[in-house]
Amino acid sequence: MIAAVPSATLLGVDGRPVVVEVHVMKALPGFNVVGLPDAACREAQDRVRAALSSSGIVWPNQRITVNLAPVGVRKGGSGLDLPIAIGLLVAAGELPEGCAAGFGFLGELGLDGSLRPVRGVVPMVAAMACDRVVVPCASAAEATVVNRHPVCSASSLVELLTCLKGEQPWPDPPPSYSAPTLPGPDLAEVRGQPLGRLAVEVSAAGGHHLLLCGPPGAGKSMLAKRLPGLLPPLEGDDAFVATSIHSAAGLPLPADGLVVRPPLRAPHHGASAVSLIGGGSGFMRPGELSMAHGGVLLLDEMAEFSPVVLDALRQPLEEGVVRVCRARASAEFPARVLLVGTTNPCPCGQGGPAGRCRCSVASRARYLRRLSGPLLDRFDLRVLVGRSDVAALTGSEGGETTAVVAERVAAARHRARLRGVRCNAELSARRLDEIGALTASAGRLLEHQIRSGALSGRGLHRVRRVALTLADLAGREAPLGEEQVGLALALRVEVIDPDATR
Amino acid sequence: MMAAKQEADSQNSIPTASAPAAPDSTALSMSVYAAALASLPGMTPRRLAAVLAANEPERVWRLAASGLPVSAPGQAPLAADLMHRQSEAAAALDLNELACRLAASGVEVAVLGQPEYPPALAGDHEAPGVFFWRGDLDLLRRPRVAIVGTRRATRYGVEVSRELGRNLAAAGVVVVSGLALGIDAAAHAGALDVSDGGTVAVVGSGLDVVYPRSNNALWHRIGCRGLISSEAAMGAAPEAWRFPVRNRIIAALGQVLVVVESHARGGSHHSVVAAEQRGRTVMAVPGSIRSSASEYPNQLLADGCPPVRDADDVLVALGLSTAQVAWPGEVGSPGSRPRTPALSPSGRNDCSRLGVRSAAVLEVLGWEPASLGDLVGRSGLAPGELSVLLAQLDCDGWVVNQGGWWQRVGPSR
Repeated sequence: MIAAVPSATLLGVDGRPVVVEVHVMKALPGFNVVGLPDAACREAQDRVRAALSSSGIVWPNQRITVNLAPVGVRKGGSGLDLPIAIGLLVAAGELPEGCAAGFGFLGELGLDGSLRPVRGVVPMVAAMACDRVVVPCASAAEATVVNRHPVCSASSLVELLTCLKGEQPWPDPPPSYSAPTLPGPDLAEVRGQPLGRLAVEVSAAGGHHLLLCGPPGAGKSMLAKRLPGLLPPLEGDDAFVATSIHSAAGLPLPADGLVVRPPLRAPHHGASAVSLIGGGSGFMRPGELSMAHGGVLLLDEMAEFSPVVLDALRQPLEEGVVRVCRARASAEFPARVLLVGTTNPCPCGQGGPAGRCRCSVASRARYLRRLSGPLLDRFDLRVLVGRSDVAALTGSEGGETTAVVAERVAAARHRARLRGVRCNAELSARRLDEIGALTASAGRLLEHQIRSGALSGRGLHRVRRVALTLADLAGREAPLGEEQVGLALALRVEVIDPDATR
Repeated sequence: MMAAKQEADSQNSIPTASAPAAPDSTALSMSVYAAALASLPGMTPRRLAAVLAANEPERVWRLAASGLPVSAPGQAPLAADLMHRQSEAAAALDLNELACRLAASGVEVAVLGQPEYPPALAGDHEAPGVFFWRGDLDLLRRPRVAIVGTRRATRYGVEVSRELGRNLAAAGVVVVSGLALGIDAAAHAGALDVSDGGTVAVVGSGLDVVYPRSNNALWHRIGCRGLISSEAAMGAAPEAWRFPVRNRIIAALGQVLVVVESHARGGSHHSVVAAEQRGRTVMAVPGSIRSSASEYPNQLLADGCPPVRDADDVLVALGLSTAQVAWPGEVGSPGSRPRTPALSPSGRNDCSRLGVRSAAVLEVLGWEPASLGDLVGRSGLAPGELSVLLAQLDCDGWVVNQGGWWQRVGPSR
């Protein structure tokens, strides 16, 4: 007899529908899985055999062939254990064919017959072609996020079979425990730092990548960690994509399932290129860059990262997606992030103007030159953050709270949406020419910068985008005045002294 | 035996082989032998001067090439392995090729005690035994000022150094320095800003080894328009020990030594010590007491060195200042002569032409570099307003921004 059970597999962060076909016939007993299974998938036969026997089901002593269709797609992971077991039971006549009709299955089997969760449930369930979905109890909350199929869940194979046969109703999924979402750190906790606060606000409002440069203890990381709180919550498709990535990466989802709070990822500077970008052989995982999709990727102590790793970020930052290609498969990971880097100004960390610290001109230049020019160019905002003075640190007066600033950010983003983009950083040069006219005096400021060689053609566009965001935050209409342009220029410090890098 | 082998080697390179030594060696001048000697391992400047004081270069060369001891008054005898290395190095060196190399690169060699040796250096008690130079040696006959300082210069130091170089060169004074990064390079560049400005570089490496690479353009400009010199043999690497040693030559060549900027422990100390040994006037450019780059010049001032406020102060020390002519009664008291203040109320440095707010920004900026964040704190202005004022001051040439640090620029940039 033959049975076909719908299921799905994970490729990168995308689910691919899979039909598990099981054929049982009287011949020399054996069990074969075909259709490009990976190692974990091939091991399914041993887990299925043990799980059936633990559940008190007699193993059919016949020739069993499992085919995972479509054959051309690589299948990985243990999520196909359950559909293989169900298909086998149907094909062997242990389970009436009608009972499983219309159901899709996903889950890993324990040797004792229990159902275990797998990662990537969200994208896989979204890809499944069936009327109802059965997943392990622990994955039920994740599966319901998709909101496309009714979701049933069971904790063991025995329970599942009784429910399928209609002998008892489906159990309610256990309330998923996940840590209550604590409010993020508040901007009011940052003392002093008027310029750093401004930079964080502008970065959030315009989606401009931000580089904070300053001595240790100045509060660079503190500022950066408060940036996600300023971003508007993820909506609709963005939230679903972020949730899929979290699910595929095996990250815990928030209590209500959908990832709506912009994520913050801060990988350590020892990170490899693959861990940041995503990939791996065969079963590809999203990298930190994708896990931060819709939120903030914080690279603390950026100059300590390997230059090769940093340069791998350049193209994804520009395109908003990572395309990872391997000999066996290729995958596309969404990667639209706000990049925030922090760095010390020089090896000794104290910084200050040239000649003031104990680093030589060459060693200062060498230190920051690990950040390549093209990468530095992607930071629209480059700000020096100094240590706050004593009065600001010890004073009781905090600055504006995250809520107040987030309101202004939301208003600025709303103005950007009216222009047809998510944020000003996404504006094309042509669109910018249409809406970002300059006053005469503002034009003169820019002209001087270009003539003195401090600003390139590309830099000019970036300064104008930031100036537009500043105008949005201030609630001003075009043309852009000299206040916006002057500030945009001042927020774009040349952290590497061009004289020292000859 | 080694000498014979060496000569046989050099003979082999020329087709007319068999006759021993004589014709070839007469063709080579004394200076080539001296240049070759300078390149031998263990031949420190002091030893080289000592052996040449007692012997002819050619004789020293032959002795060294054959691994025999050379008398060097006041110097410890060489260790056996060093003598062996010298003879090996000598065997590997082709004197004809060296002569061609010197001629091709336009480098001349002067041997201490010979008539072509620059008189400005000949009387010095630590004069280099062999002096390599390229360019205009007559510059050493004019009044000379040595300008020295740190490689890790601040913008202030670089500006002042360039300004001093320029103004001294305009007054006909030759600027002597070491062609290092920072203060040195700025002083040379300042002298070259003037159309007939003279400048002398004393470098630590061989004259065919440009160091630091980033000074390449300046190096060649000085070679063309000024004088570039070294006591290191052709091909000598810029080893760390050579720099403090060459500082004595800079100190000896300058009739006045000006320290523009130097950190508490820097190479300028060697120059100052050497200048004091030679009885030269040491002067220092005052700097902020908060700037570590001005720590040493400020210390010198505290020790009683005369300050350099502008090129005029140096000219007075040289006895060349016009101020002396105008106020003969006050010779030797340069502090009392009327002078134009650093911020003259004339031309583009007239603060009174600035708006009230711009002037206030200049006021809070002062003469120390400050970041925008600092200035927001000091002035109480909003970042937007402040950055506009700064950008306008930048446009008008009052301030510059270097790596995010705003700095007021001097009067004659």
